[in-house]
Amino acid sequence: MSIQRITLSTAGALALGAVVAASVSSGTILSLLTQAIIYAVFASGVGLLLRQNGMVSFGHALFFGAAGYGVGILLQLQAMPAEAAIAVTLVGITLVAFLMGLVIVRVPGVAFGMLTLAVGQMFYLTASRSRGLTGGADGMNIEWPATLFGLPMSELLKSSHMFLLCWTVLVLVLLALALLLRSRFGSITEAVRDNEERARFIGIRTLVPRAAVYALSALVTGVAGLLSALNTGFVSPENLHWSLSGVALMMAVVGGYKALWGPALGAVIYFLAKDILGDYANHWMAIFGVALITVIVFSPTGIAGALGRLVRGKKPTPALRTAPGH
Amino acid sequence: MSNYVLEAHDVAIHYGGVKAVDGVSLTLERGQIRGLIGPNGAGKSTVIDAITGRTRLTRGTVHLAGQDVTALGATQRRLRGLSRSFQRTSIFGQMAVRQQVELASHKMGMADSAADADAVLQELDLLPLADAKAEDLGYGQQRRLDLALALVGRPQVLLLDEPMAGLSVQESHDLAKHLKALTARWDVSVLLVEHDMDVVFGISDVVTVFELGRVIASGAPASVRADPRVREAYLGSTA
Repeated sequence: MSIQRITLSTAGALALGAVVAASVSSGTILSLLTQAIIYAVFASGVGLLLRQNGMVSFGHALFFGAAGYGVGILLQLQAMPAEAAIAVTLVGITLVAFLMGLVIVRVPGVAFGMLTLAVGQMFYLTASRSRGLTGGADGMNIEWPATLFGLPMSELLKSSHMFLLCWTVLVLVLLALALLLRSRFGSITEAVRDNEERARFIGIRTLVPRAAVYALSALVTGVAGLLSALNTGFVSPENLHWSLSGVALMMAVVGGYKALWGPALGAVIYFLAKDILGDYANHWMAIFGVALITVIVFSPTGIAGALGRLVRGKKPTPALRTAPGH
Repeated sequence: MSNYVLEAHDVAIHYGGVKAVDGVSLTLERGQIRGLIGPNGAGKSTVIDAITGRTRLTRGTVHLAGQDVTALGATQRRLRGLSRSFQRTSIFGQMAVRQQVELASHKMGMADSAADADAVLQELDLLPLADAKAEDLGYGQQRRLDLALALVGRPQVLLLDEPMAGLSVQESHDLAKHLKALTARWDVSVLLVEHDMDVVFGISDVVTVFELGRVIASGAPASVRADPRVREAYLGSTA
């Protein structure tokens, strides 16, 4: 994607968010959309790992929950201002994920998924039982200050403002990823994902890029966790549970992880469809499971891939096999 | 100081009691093409794996331009100019042709990686396909892309593992012609494992014959072709 197209898409998306925030008056709808956008950021983190490393994580809720717990504990200890606590939490999550990545991305395929599941559940159980620090199974309230980044919390917590904040963060996260992935770093990680052995034989040290992608996806997931903590003012062990990782993974697959915006689309569809189904929501996971199977069978590139094909139309296959001289 | 750009001395690869390669010594002079032939399972590809650092040596040493690289990993050896292609086409299917060759060139430290990539693509007649996704190329084109990835950064030594496998007679002929011209122009030394005897005897300066992990003959193509042991072990009626 060209820089010009990225800039235009970003500007359009930011404008769309402003229009929605200004025009939707229902607090319930805005609240639903906010929740969908937070999960869109989460799914983007999971989708990034799938897209750039070709790896499936069942433990990314670890970073989602850790962001809430990290900032919550730092605020509880009154160790630093909230803005610094946010920065320290995100840097901490990224560093820990990078170091974890250096070890676990060496493990291939299903074993990697199981390892992420085990690590995530380990922290889930630890948070559930550390009542003194985390509030145990009851979770903990996050004591946000009266102002954050100079903005009054009372204003920030208004549903239209919270939606706009989350939407803007989502757009900026996707913008940052789009720019990063069209850089040399993007090419390197793509090469390592496609063919790790060949990558080594063109001079790429393959471990660090894979660990860096893992850390980056954890950072994005951490951002989602912070938004959730800000939105609800609460964090509990459920935010660390593997089932949350599974839901984010399904969103990424249904939305289509090969497009950067696919997982976000999957998250929004997930929440809107769940709401629209209303009374049938008790059977929601079964319904979404059917959607997942349908997508995997009929459009492995997800809804984003199907939309892309629809927009592009059916292009003829380029006549590559008849290059000049051959 | 040695005149050889590559020296593999007493190389052995043992898997438990199985001696895949046992006490093989090979050299390459600058700009030389050495053909490596032998029946399937003779240890030819294993020797390439050993020299390039893909497989750990049980015994022996590898020197590149006089420097001992035995303890170095595959990436380090590649960065020092020891490159290879693979028996099975090894490219980046999802990436565009130019993108991957340019990336390889950048990683090899070329000052103008874009220009270097274009030069290599031009050399292998791949420039018209530069913007195509690699997985969309035909098989012969993918083999040439594999070779292009091995050639970026102007390596000192190129180890080619059956580069003609699966190609038509015409494609093999074209690729062999390219290879011969390239080695002369770029001063690259080549170790060529290949089953196409016309290619091997047509472009090699020297030929080495393997059997059961050992060298049974080595020398000028004509003398190797005439060697009774070689005819018995491998060439048979094709000689």
